[in-house]
Amino acid sequence: MRIAARTAVLSAVVALLAGLLGGCGDLSRGELSRGVESLSALAAQGGLVAKGVAEDGTKATYARVMAKTLGGEAEHEAEKLADAEPEAAVEAQRGEAVAVARELAELFAELQTYPGDERHGATVQKHMARAKAQADAIAEGLTGEEQ
Amino acid sequence: MKAIFKIALGIIAAVGGFLDIGDLVFNTQAGALFRYDLIWAVVCGVIGIAVYAEMSGRVAAVSGRPVFDVIRMRLGFGPGLIALVASTLVNVLTIAAELGGLAIILTLLFDAAFSMFVVVAVLALIVIVALLPFGGLERLFGYGGLLLLVMVATAIDQQPDWGAVAQGLIPSLDSSPLYLYFVVGTFAAALMPYEVHFYSSGAIEERWTEENLKENRLNAIIGYALGGVLAVSLVIVSGYLFHPLGVEPNDLGTVALPSQVAFGETGLLLALGGMLCCVGGAAIDSSFAASYNLAQFLGWEWGRYRGPKKAPRFTVSWLAFLAVAVMIVESGINPVEITEYSVVFSVVALPLTYFPILLIAGDRSFMGEHANGRIASLLGWVYFGVIIVLALASIPLLLITNGGGG
Repeated sequence: MRIAARTAVLSAVVALLAGLLGGCGDLSRGELSRGVESLSALAAQGGLVAKGVAEDGTKATYARVMAKTLGGEAEHEAEKLADAEPEAAVEAQRGEAVAVARELAELFAELQTYPGDERHGATVQKHMARAKAQADAIAEGLTGEEQ
Repeated sequence: MKAIFKIALGIIAAVGGFLDIGDLVFNTQAGALFRYDLIWAVVCGVIGIAVYAEMSGRVAAVSGRPVFDVIRMRLGFGPGLIALVASTLVNVLTIAAELGGLAIILTLLFDAAFSMFVVVAVLALIVIVALLPFGGLERLFGYGGLLLLVMVATAIDQQPDWGAVAQGLIPSLDSSPLYLYFVVGTFAAALMPYEVHFYSSGAIEERWTEENLKENRLNAIIGYALGGVLAVSLVIVSGYLFHPLGVEPNDLGTVALPSQVAFGETGLLLALGGMLCCVGGAAIDSSFAASYNLAQFLGWEWGRYRGPKKAPRFTVSWLAFLAVAVMIVESGINPVEITEYSVVFSVVALPLTYFPILLIAGDRSFMGEHANGRIASLLGWVYFGVIIVLALASIPLLLITNGGGG
């Protein structure tokens, strides 16, 4: 009788935990917010590198290597966010963040390909600013604070 | 006149050779994260290294004994051995960080494979050390490091709120673990143990005597103070440009970005050139320091001036330390991460390096009239207290903040 009761309690606890964990996801609002802030920072840095390219005020090797490094970071952030299981309440923002991260990776790839082309530099700079604004808007929605 | 000129050249070399990869990384990150709030920690670190470098140079000039000789003499074999092991581990990490930094800067300039540049960098250093005398090494990298004055020009060009910059000289009351971690990092980056090991052994290499005490004092006080201006300018340019944008400078290349924004390609090249010389000089200083310590502790013949034939074990150990450092960098660990660990772990080794210097420099029976005066003694003990606190706090802060990652 005691064994049956113990088994029942254990099963209930396991079921409760499974239910809770299933609903929670492993990506909290705070973690997503930090990831989005990193994307905003990457976009800002990318904008500065692109500005150098646009104004013919940098060295092509520097711009290419920086774009490669920062692009790798954007790619990594996109994969990390895409692989994570978000809380139900932030699922939409997670999707938006992944889209921004992928866009950043593409922009850095473009900069890497054309590190000496002023026209491409100007376009990338403009798109970087837009990506940063998008990331800031997502972060603002998550934290309620203006970025 | 000739003597004044020689002293001036020494000071200039000290200014240019002041920064290393630890300063570049920590000061830039400190500015990006906390704007100007950590300038006081950088200044405190600069005063600390000036105080202890002056003491170690004075001990070397008066007694003819470099730091590790003093450590073994004062602490005895057992504790001296612990100091040797701790310093060597930190020095090897530092050499690896500097070599990795050199390879990154070369990659930014010439865009080829990082691992190839690690090998190129180490071979170039070996050739330069083989060709130049000790004084020539100091001057080459010291004068080259002056290119980083572009950071001071960038700070002026940015026209920051100088009132806010001045406010950064006053310690703020932030007690968050990340802030405290960067207090430790910026302070420790200025006080890396290899700097006094190299400085005091360099005094023996250049055969300093009591006649050089004035030169020693001016090098330590004026040279390091002006070097500190470079260190503070890194915080200012980063705080001005990166802090409002939320940029996280996790890559060495980001350090040069503010100069590019201010002065275009010329600014970028000056910044990268200056970084190359500072980091290259620090790679030589730290690798020499590791070999100096080992040779002095074991009683081997040592010194660049003796040459490989007269000091073979010293030369072989120097090459061995470089080889181990190359293996660490080639293992794929990010050099910036190696830098952060080498700086934070160095804090633990600081008391073992600075305590014997403080004791011997204040010992009138040993130093005679050149023993510490009241100001040097007071500053030395105050800084030693601070070093103990930082040594106790460094590893917990490293773990709590996930290596400064927040």
